[in-house]
Amino acid sequence: MSECRFLEALRDNLVNLDFEGVKKAAEDAMNVGISPVKAITDGLAAGLTIVGEKFERKEYFLSELVVAAEVMKEGMTVIQPHIKGEGTRAKGKVVLATVQGDNHDIGKSLVATLLRVSGFEVIDLGVDVPTERIIKTVKTGRPRILGLSALLTVTMPEMGNIIRSLKATGLRENVKVIVGGSPVTKEFAEKIGADYRAADAIDGVKKCVEWVSTK
Amino acid sequence: MTYRERILITIQGNRADRVPFFHLWRRLQTGEAERRARNRCMGVWWQRPCFVETMPNVDIVERRGPSSGLGTTLIEYHTPVGTVTERLKKEPGVGEWKAQRSWRDVTPWAVERRIKRPEDYDVVKFMVEDTVYKADYFPIEQAKDWLGEDGVIIANLPHSPMQMLMIDWVGAPNFYIHYAKYREKVEELYRTIDRRYEEIYRIAAESPADAIIFGDNLDGVLVNPNLFQRYFMPSYEKCAQAAHEENKLLASHFDGRLDGLKDLIAKCPQDIIEAFHPPPMGDLSLWEALDLWKQKVILVGFPGSVYSLGTDAVKKYLLDLLRSIVPGDRVGIEASTENLVSDKDLLALSAIMEKAELPLSERIISEIERSIK
Repeated sequence: MSECRFLEALRDNLVNLDFEGVKKAAEDAMNVGISPVKAITDGLAAGLTIVGEKFERKEYFLSELVVAAEVMKEGMTVIQPHIKGEGTRAKGKVVLATVQGDNHDIGKSLVATLLRVSGFEVIDLGVDVPTERIIKTVKTGRPRILGLSALLTVTMPEMGNIIRSLKATGLRENVKVIVGGSPVTKEFAEKIGADYRAADAIDGVKKCVEWVSTK
Repeated sequence: MTYRERILITIQGNRADRVPFFHLWRRLQTGEAERRARNRCMGVWWQRPCFVETMPNVDIVERRGPSSGLGTTLIEYHTPVGTVTERLKKEPGVGEWKAQRSWRDVTPWAVERRIKRPEDYDVVKFMVEDTVYKADYFPIEQAKDWLGEDGVIIANLPHSPMQMLMIDWVGAPNFYIHYAKYREKVEELYRTIDRRYEEIYRIAAESPADAIIFGDNLDGVLVNPNLFQRYFMPSYEKCAQAAHEENKLLASHFDGRLDGLKDLIAKCPQDIIEAFHPPPMGDLSLWEALDLWKQKVILVGFPGSVYSLGTDAVKKYLLDLLRSIVPGDRVGIEASTENLVSDKDLLALSAIMEKAELPLSERIISEIERSIK
């Protein structure tokens, strides 16, 4: 079987959301010596791109995005151990957090997974994250991008507090801030001085990729 | 016309004297502004339980302290077929204010849900089958007595069976993964809940409440059309059948993004879509919803994110909303489904809504606008 066929098997099993299929395709690819990085970029990540396109065409929904991310992880579990000595440089570092007082995380977790498979280094601080911890992580970790999530209108204002704190500590100029969550509107994002408001996980990841591509 | 009459006439699909304006009891802040708003035009929508449930063969142990994790309550359900646990984060104020809400008006949050592994489905299935439902209409009767003509009393039912799994017992995103990996387990439990819920549909239908509300915190991003059609709609049909047999209206709490489900919702049997959120929080305009769902009444949840923009924005939003739905039939306005509305905003809404005579017209709305300047 040609290299192409192995990569197609990875891609297609991911698109079809087949856990067992992707695991076998990953094992087969590693057994015949396919480059693990290529297996990820031209196999799994290519499949994820197609999943994203299906999502935008409304053939797939959030449920399929989540499952695709898990299927991808299944494949990565097989491929990752083979990467030693061949690594790739991360596109950039992203810190993600759901703001203090808010426990929602589905969108943020999905963004974290999609960013990782897109080649970013992701620090996911979790949910209900105090502002001080976010600022401290930005200060020490020096990410290119800070992603903030809020699903409650009572917690949204914390996003504004975080941006103000970034300014007060001289960190604002060095980090892009992207915000998301269903009550977070474009108007609100502009009001608090965020750089972008993501309409959904795919949109958010696209913006992050765009930011690191245009230096 | 009393507030109760106004709301009842509207939810029955008829034209009242004004567009009804009301607040949810569980969100009402008792005080001067609330009194003034209620004296002007604000009614009350009060959801009350209509049954009690017990699980005679399940030992429930609640722990708080070092063994449960800091700041959380661990609940263990011990059954003859196994044990499941869930963990809740309860903010200060839970149990001391309304409807299990914290001082910040947030309900306890499940940081760990009871179904985590495939074997947990069998334990929870046992719990569902072990549940005994008993009608208890005291909360409804008491509320009707107290509220009088100031509002309506609604028999409260839980999330629909599949939503119970998606939100309460499994949680997204795990639910999507379980649905992909353990479909049979998910569907078996869904069918069990769906069958047992027929009892509470009947209990609610036979209650003295003015209407029934069944579920569902529906959001069309989390619930895709395939899931909605396959699992949600059949449950709604069952509940609606029980409700309509007793001449009861059926409402559902559809407070999320609904554009992706709008055509399917049109086919649903609910008489009332409650907590409808137009943009900016929802993704379907009110006028389009009214046009698509011609047999339904829409009770609008005033979007919480608009409150964060200030009182002038609140007034403008409401006036624009009323303009968009002239002549204004089949609509009611709820002060909020989410926020503690500030006194200033509550009074601003009341000042507009007390003049929202039906049929609405540009002239009436313009007069309202002049009067509130």
